[in-house]
Amino acid sequence: MSGFSELGIGRAAAFAGMLLLAVAIQSTLLAQATVLGVIPQLVLVLVVSLAFLDGERVGTVVGFFGGLLVDTLLPGAIMGLTALIFTLIGYGVGLLRYMTPPDSVWTPVLTVAGASAVAELGYASLAIIMGQRWVSLEETVKIAGLVVLYNTLLTPFVFPLIRRVADRFRPERVVRL
Amino acid sequence: MYRKPGRGRVLLLMFLALSIIVITIDYRAGSGGILRTAKEWSVAVVAPIQRGFTTVVRPVGNFFASIGELSDLRDENKRLEDENEQLSAENTQADEVLEENERLADLLELEKAWPAMDKVHAQVYAKDAGNYGEGVYIDKGREDGIRPNMPVLAPEGLVGKTLSVTAHESLVVLLVDTNFGANARVKDERDTGLVRGRGSADPLTMILIGKNSDVEVGDEVTTSGLDEIFPPAISIGEVVRADVQGGQSSKTIEVEPFVDIAKLDKVMVLIREGRVGVDATGED
Repeated sequence: MSGFSELGIGRAAAFAGMLLLAVAIQSTLLAQATVLGVIPQLVLVLVVSLAFLDGERVGTVVGFFGGLLVDTLLPGAIMGLTALIFTLIGYGVGLLRYMTPPDSVWTPVLTVAGASAVAELGYASLAIIMGQRWVSLEETVKIAGLVVLYNTLLTPFVFPLIRRVADRFRPERVVRL
Repeated sequence: MYRKPGRGRVLLLMFLALSIIVITIDYRAGSGGILRTAKEWSVAVVAPIQRGFTTVVRPVGNFFASIGELSDLRDENKRLEDENEQLSAENTQADEVLEENERLADLLELEKAWPAMDKVHAQVYAKDAGNYGEGVYIDKGREDGIRPNMPVLAPEGLVGKTLSVTAHESLVVLLVDTNFGANARVKDERDTGLVRGRGSADPLTMILIGKNSDVEVGDEVTTSGLDEIFPPAISIGEVVRADVQGGQSSKTIEVEPFVDIAKLDKVMVLIREGRVGVDATGED
């Protein structure tokens, strides 16, 4: 499967390492520093960034495993839901990169904003459809809005770091945008 | 531009299918089996990184302790040091000592309230990273005697119960989580009901079975001991609305928890013997 052939051991380890680091930072530093009780979703920013840099196949794989990692650490939620959402977003953002101006500094930021909105509302909708007890609509909208804001604010700081790692491990035959 | 359309789609479908399979397994099988193992692995792998970050953040967090009543508390501090010799004072700042002091006193009271049960003291080292669930990670686990579904308390009252447990860590679901429930009663009343979480922004709801015409705002709510998890008389919170919904045979009220979930730090896990410590798969 071509998605896996592009993923050498070194690259897979680097991406896995970044996912673990992101989830750890999210649940400690970001959870402590949070304003209004909403935690920025650094893992999502990472998934979107890698999908944006390296394409839809990387986006799909990193989205799935990143989402699954988040699911395993959530208390009481339905497992697999985040994996599903992040897989779709990883794929979608990966495709999207062919249609956007390659070197604009705004593109990753706007992409993260849009993807965050879709992820938050998508997750809430699916959970409600599956019969999960949920917080109020008002609360959901507030959380989604703040996640979009925080993720967007984090992107200019985080994206360059992710890009450096992605560049380092990218096999030569894949074209970088 | 290098792209092979179609190959990306196969990969997508494969991982979508995998996600749906995981969702289905979880939906039907609940908390046992493969998924439980996956959760435990995750917690165990991520824990060292989380704890590394927390040791950086914690000194900053304690900075905001209040500095009032220094001399009274110095006397009390001496008394507590005698009773708790194992606690070493690493910080010499007055406000650090004060806050620790208060917590020790509270924990001692808590210990005394439950003399018959084994307890494990633990520290919160991370929060759950999602925004729709409420949980915390504590630094004690299976090796310390902890199993899933054990009550977790703080000096103010009920915190929640343990969910996933690894060798040295536990994930605790908080009482404000939407999936949390405990059987409870309004203090000194006969009728009991189910307290459920509604997220961190809203009070708990409680559905009381029975007429309950005497329930008033300000009444204390405690556990009833009727579910198989929480022993009776643990403080949960106080009634903030007694008139949400009434009927012939039941009444819905709102309860504000005593515990401040934003400031959870040191907690206590009650080690319960017997059936209560057994999780869904029947293992201990």
